[in-house]
Amino acid sequence: MSDYSLSDDDYYNDEDMFDITQDDDDMNMDDYTEDFKVDTNSKRKSYEIEYESLNQPAVEKLMQQDVAYIIGILGVDSSIAARLLRHSSWNKERLIEKYMDNPNTILVAAGVTAPEPPSVTSPIRTHIGDRRTTRSASKIISTLSSSSKTSSKASSSSYQPAQTRLKAERFVCPICYDDSSDLQTASLDCDHLFCTGCWTTYITSKIRDEAEHCIRCMAEGCCLVAPDTFIQSALAGEGEPTWARFQELLVRHFVSCNPNLKYCPHPGCTNTVSCPAAASKSSLTTVVPAVSCGARGIPGSPEALTSAVAAKEHYFCFGCPIDSDHRPVVCSVAKMWLKKCADDSETANWIKSNTKECPKCQSTIEKNGGCNHMTCKKCKHEFCWVCMGPWSEHGTSWYSCNRYEEKSGTDARDAQSKSRASLERYLHYYNRWANHEQSAKLSLDLYAKTEKKMEDMQITSSLTWIEVQFMKKAVEEADKCRMTLKWTYAMAYYLARGNEKELFEDNQRDLEQAVEELAELLEQPIEADAIPTLRQKVTDKTVYVHKRNEIVLEDTANGFLEGRWKWNARVEGFDEPDQADLV
Amino acid sequence: MDARLRRVNKEIADCKNDKASGIKIELIDESPFHLKGIFPGPEGTPYAGGTFLVDIIIPESYPFQPVKMKFITKVYHPNVSSASGAICLDILKDAWSPVLTLKSTLISLQSLLCSPEPNDPQDAEVAKHFTTSKGSFEDTATYWTQIYAGGPGKKGVSTASSGDGKDEVAMAGLEKAHVDQFEALGFQRGKVIDVLRRLNYRGKNVTQISEDRVVEELLK
Repeated sequence: MSDYSLSDDDYYNDEDMFDITQDDDDMNMDDYTEDFKVDTNSKRKSYEIEYESLNQPAVEKLMQQDVAYIIGILGVDSSIAARLLRHSSWNKERLIEKYMDNPNTILVAAGVTAPEPPSVTSPIRTHIGDRRTTRSASKIISTLSSSSKTSSKASSSSYQPAQTRLKAERFVCPICYDDSSDLQTASLDCDHLFCTGCWTTYITSKIRDEAEHCIRCMAEGCCLVAPDTFIQSALAGEGEPTWARFQELLVRHFVSCNPNLKYCPHPGCTNTVSCPAAASKSSLTTVVPAVSCGARGIPGSPEALTSAVAAKEHYFCFGCPIDSDHRPVVCSVAKMWLKKCADDSETANWIKSNTKECPKCQSTIEKNGGCNHMTCKKCKHEFCWVCMGPWSEHGTSWYSCNRYEEKSGTDARDAQSKSRASLERYLHYYNRWANHEQSAKLSLDLYAKTEKKMEDMQITSSLTWIEVQFMKKAVEEADKCRMTLKWTYAMAYYLARGNEKELFEDNQRDLEQAVEELAELLEQPIEADAIPTLRQKVTDKTVYVHKRNEIVLEDTANGFLEGRWKWNARVEGFDEPDQADLV
Repeated sequence: MDARLRRVNKEIADCKNDKASGIKIELIDESPFHLKGIFPGPEGTPYAGGTFLVDIIIPESYPFQPVKMKFITKVYHPNVSSASGAICLDILKDAWSPVLTLKSTLISLQSLLCSPEPNDPQDAEVAKHFTTSKGSFEDTATYWTQIYAGGPGKKGVSTASSGDGKDEVAMAGLEKAHVDQFEALGFQRGKVIDVLRRLNYRGKNVTQISEDRVVEELLK
């Protein structure tokens, strides 16, 4: 926490830090956190985080670097180094330590060398417990000479389908029982021979059905792991897509072992994002590591090719499994909110949200249409359906209803049960949250509609394609702001009452109002002579909305850095809330 | 011919030719991919003398993915579900190898009956029974073999059974005296058996679990 607060020292260092990062175009990873501390002068906003998007070849390059490092230190060949690294979850230090301790133990455990000459195993199996111990503990060759011998032999191991073994007896594949004379066979260093057809099917099944990158010999109890060259040969020809999948699995494994990396969660995407600033769990209470892998849409789908507008950029959170940008709210609060939304039964919500009691005479009322200005049939009391406060307080500024005003609403809700009040409080935030989520979902339609409008505009006016881009920008901006708004409701639900919350909700209201106005402009029918005015209006509004969004994001992010936000519930990673704030 | 079909046919034929192992594989319906395995209970165990039936389903990707097996015959064993017959055995899961055959897998099941692994149980209640009182567990397993697998049964247990029907007390691996004791307090016999089995009221546990605790459970 204190690392990120803006102390005086940090302030004086600002200039230096800025210069360093400017000069350092290589983007030294270690500087990320430092850089992050002093955000005031740098170009990056306080709500943004430094990250880098890597495609699959880039990650493969990182893997090769690690492999080369291990080759240099341990003097093994690349196929062995790769298998050793995968076995040790890419932890180089631990691997080197273990290898120095006893090379045989780790070579056997990683499936590089066989523990002992292959013996004819009895088909009778004992249970897990027995097997595991014999596998890891007892079958170890401890002489160094044999290790060097086996490792040199391992390097020669390759998939040789062309080679047919001449034996006195005709070879029968123990898996498919094929005994034809032209049967091609292959084996790993353990010399367990199988026909190449079975190898290919087996490897394909392991990769396709089990998403397994560690492929062991097919013989029972044999723990040798097939080297990549062997797998590649087995998958040559028709197995090309499977080979590509295998490489993807290797990259995924590498990424999952490295806390600085995260694989893009969007379907079909193979990019990785590197974000060392959010790698530690403690950093997640002060930053929302919203990142994007840079790709758009679903790779290979026609949608991605035809319309770059409709295909959404792959935004996701680096710190938690939520596969969208949940700024400005931090991961732990966002998760709490999603869990709460999932727990509360939809049916109960519907019933509760569609019937309410009149704040004056307690008659149960179902709202079956119309606006939020309610007049009780029985007692003629006028009230707001959303906050249950008297309508007179709303006046013209009915947007103040974005706030669940605890004070003026209290009187109205006192009559109702406490559980109902808390449920309504929840529903207030939930409805707004869900509303923005729904709007965001509809944004795809809006994109399509906008594209159509942009085309129309070019026909009806003298504007060029470039000049009508303002529409697209406006739609994108509105969509972005809706995402922010959506999560501000999750945040406001858990914020403890007080001035900070009021300021937060003021910012929220300003943004919401601006977004709604922009959305209205975008929905307007287009008349040829009004286009220049519309263009001006939309552009102005877009800029304004953008600024309001910045304010919300920036202020919230700064609040997290300063530890300004107080919660009304227990939140993971934060201090215990005050007893008085608990809801 | 489809490699999977060729292999399964050969496995069935091999099994037919091999009379020594005592293992049989039969078709359940027309499909060669839904089979029934039959093997004798291993000698020197509570399962001796019984005949055990196993439901076998050959998956699409056999032999590269393991066969699906479960007991048809009810078995009292820590690694077999006493209700569904589901089996907990490594080679049916991640330790499967394509060189394993139906026969070798059935032999493995047979050897699983010889050497239970209570630390990795499928049926927690049976496993608890096994760890607290092996003797009592074996009596119950023998009784189950006798009732469900056509085994000869043991003297000690057969005297406990009340004539023709199944003896519920012996089925649950409990002592008749204990069940009678709580039944005398006015509880239903079925409920008493249920609670005592759940509490693992056997062996040295009998002294550790107070009568009040049992009554409390019975009143729930």
